[in-house]
Amino acid sequence: MATNAPIPGGSGEIPPITPSRPIIPETPSEISASSNSLQPPPSSSDTDRIYIPSYSRWFSWNEINECEVRSLPEFFDSRSSSKNPRVYLYLRNSIIQQYRDEHPQKISFTDVRRTLVGDVVSIRRVFDFLDSWGLINYSSSASAKPLKWDDKEAVASEPPSTVKESAKRICNGCKSVCSVACFASEKYELTLCARCYVRGNYRVGINSSEFKRVELSEESKTGWSEKETLLLLEAVMHYGDDWKKVASHVTGRTEKDCVSQFVKLPFGEQFAKDSDSEDALETFNQIKGSADPESEGRVKDGSSSPDNKRMKLTPLADASNPIMAQAAFLSALAGTKVAEAAARAAVTALSDIDHEAGKNAGGDPNGQEINGNNSERAVAEAKSLLEKEEKEVEGAIREIVEVEMMKIRDRIVHFEKLDLEMERSRKQLEEMKNLLFTDQLNIFFHTRRSRKAEDRAEC
Amino acid sequence: MKASGSTNWKGPVKFRMPTAENLVPIRLDIQFEGQRYKDAFTWNPSDADNEIAIFARRTVKDLKLPPAFVTQITQSIQSQLADFRAYEGQDMYTGEKIIPIKLDLRVNHTLIKDQFLWDLNNFESDPEEFARTLCKDLGVEDPEVGPAVTFAIREQLYEIAVQSVSSARESRLSKKSRRGSDYGSASKASGLSMDLVKLFSFKSSVVRKRKDLDVYEPMVDLLTNEEVDALEAREERHAR
Repeated sequence: MATNAPIPGGSGEIPPITPSRPIIPETPSEISASSNSLQPPPSSSDTDRIYIPSYSRWFSWNEINECEVRSLPEFFDSRSSSKNPRVYLYLRNSIIQQYRDEHPQKISFTDVRRTLVGDVVSIRRVFDFLDSWGLINYSSSASAKPLKWDDKEAVASEPPSTVKESAKRICNGCKSVCSVACFASEKYELTLCARCYVRGNYRVGINSSEFKRVELSEESKTGWSEKETLLLLEAVMHYGDDWKKVASHVTGRTEKDCVSQFVKLPFGEQFAKDSDSEDALETFNQIKGSADPESEGRVKDGSSSPDNKRMKLTPLADASNPIMAQAAFLSALAGTKVAEAAARAAVTALSDIDHEAGKNAGGDPNGQEINGNNSERAVAEAKSLLEKEEKEVEGAIREIVEVEMMKIRDRIVHFEKLDLEMERSRKQLEEMKNLLFTDQLNIFFHTRRSRKAEDRAEC
Repeated sequence: MKASGSTNWKGPVKFRMPTAENLVPIRLDIQFEGQRYKDAFTWNPSDADNEIAIFARRTVKDLKLPPAFVTQITQSIQSQLADFRAYEGQDMYTGEKIIPIKLDLRVNHTLIKDQFLWDLNNFESDPEEFARTLCKDLGVEDPEVGPAVTFAIREQLYEIAVQSVSSARESRLSKKSRRGSDYGSASKASGLSMDLVKLFSFKSSVVRKRKDLDVYEPMVDLLTNEEVDALEAREERHAR
């Protein structure tokens, strides 16, 4: 008999990898879920205060908000008897309670699902939902994560600004804030502080070569201004590999900083390959451009992909405008005066193009005025059209309202008629009742009289 | 006797877990590169199959296991689900089946021993609810005990359901009888279930015999760290 012996597989052991946490049923610490703006909370996170982002303000312990219903419909569509709102509340509240007990440590999905009764896939979905809404595992560096589920509703939720991940980095090994330099492995999504890296305080199976060094000092201290970057580039051009001289040229930066900053520049590496770098970059962009008729979009892609490979830390390499970055770099190379002249020429060229476009469109050799008139006229036309539309809409609404009112009036009239008829029939009924009564009385009297007559006749 | 048998006989039911939710117990025990990963949880077989990979990756990431575990975990879950689905198409007979369910597990520092009767015919039964109530009533503080109890109950129910499928097949092959009362006797012969009729007849009383009282009483024990270590060492020795 299989069930006689102890349960096959031994008793229910929990693998020794996860430490067991003692859970205190009533948390004595004061937990105030103060809703915060999207500014990251103060880095000295008190263990007593829990922050949640302002777009999660709707959360309350005993209620279910409609965004929850939308994101996790399986609990609310009564398809399966076990997935009902009560179960959802139980799962959600236990997960959040667990997180708050562990705060400021983050909880992982596996910790949670071990302690919850239910099937793991639903638990995972609830966990992910809470995670993306910042109700658990929310910290300043997490504000960069975009909301996955609610891209449809832009009204109720404010999408978090895509803050570049330049906030505090926490070491996965020793859970401390990385200060000077840290080592990041994208493949395994780990960040280790220098000490942990040296000590080898990471998982078995990861090579030390998988880690890339990330300098943090300049991020946290001062960002490189454009002037400093220009100085740096000039210095490198002049002095090449002599970093002492470079550092002295770039006033206020140590050698190490200069080197790291230079390496981080998006075109630093290519720049080091002498003059071929510029041409190489341009041909690269041209190839990308010719591949796609929308060359502008492609150029962006082309120059942003080498950007993405490096840590985006330079103020010049603005990810949203790599063309500007390229222009800045080229102008740095060429020198300020040349750059000015080129810029001016470019601007005049652009305005000429505009001129021509205006001429072709307007057919009048008046140049800029035409442009102005055209645009003004277009604006006026648009406004008048808009007004017309509004009036039409108002008229339509008025008509609808009138029609509805007439309908209601008709119905009222109809009801009154019905009422009258009811009254009439009631009165008729009353009369008939009276008649019946009198008839009955008559009969009664008649019978009485006849009986009396009979009696008299008999006697 | 015959009359009661025929009214209680249900026709063959499609195989499923005899609980309100059709959840499959999954047990993982993977050893790889000197690391051992043991786990047990419940899975909903109607979930999409890509959920398996997502779950495996998530678990490996959370527990910081070497990434080779992902494929192993996925395969293990898939094979167990496939076994379950293989049974799903077949019939199982559910006669009068009240079975004793035994709990004998150690979860972190808590040791639970218990035995109780479970009605296999009750397709609305809920092991989760039972586990929740058990932990609450016995004052178990460790939140990991509840799911472990649920899992143990489900596992036993699953095994018994599997057995009923195979015995149904046998009875169909061996005798071409259409009457369920014959099957009822067969299941009695296997000794798993209790005969309700005998139990609730006028001869015996419903009150349990004295010698069974201890067996059917739940027992919860809290172990100290040393005892836990000793037990774990013993279990590892057994496993090898």
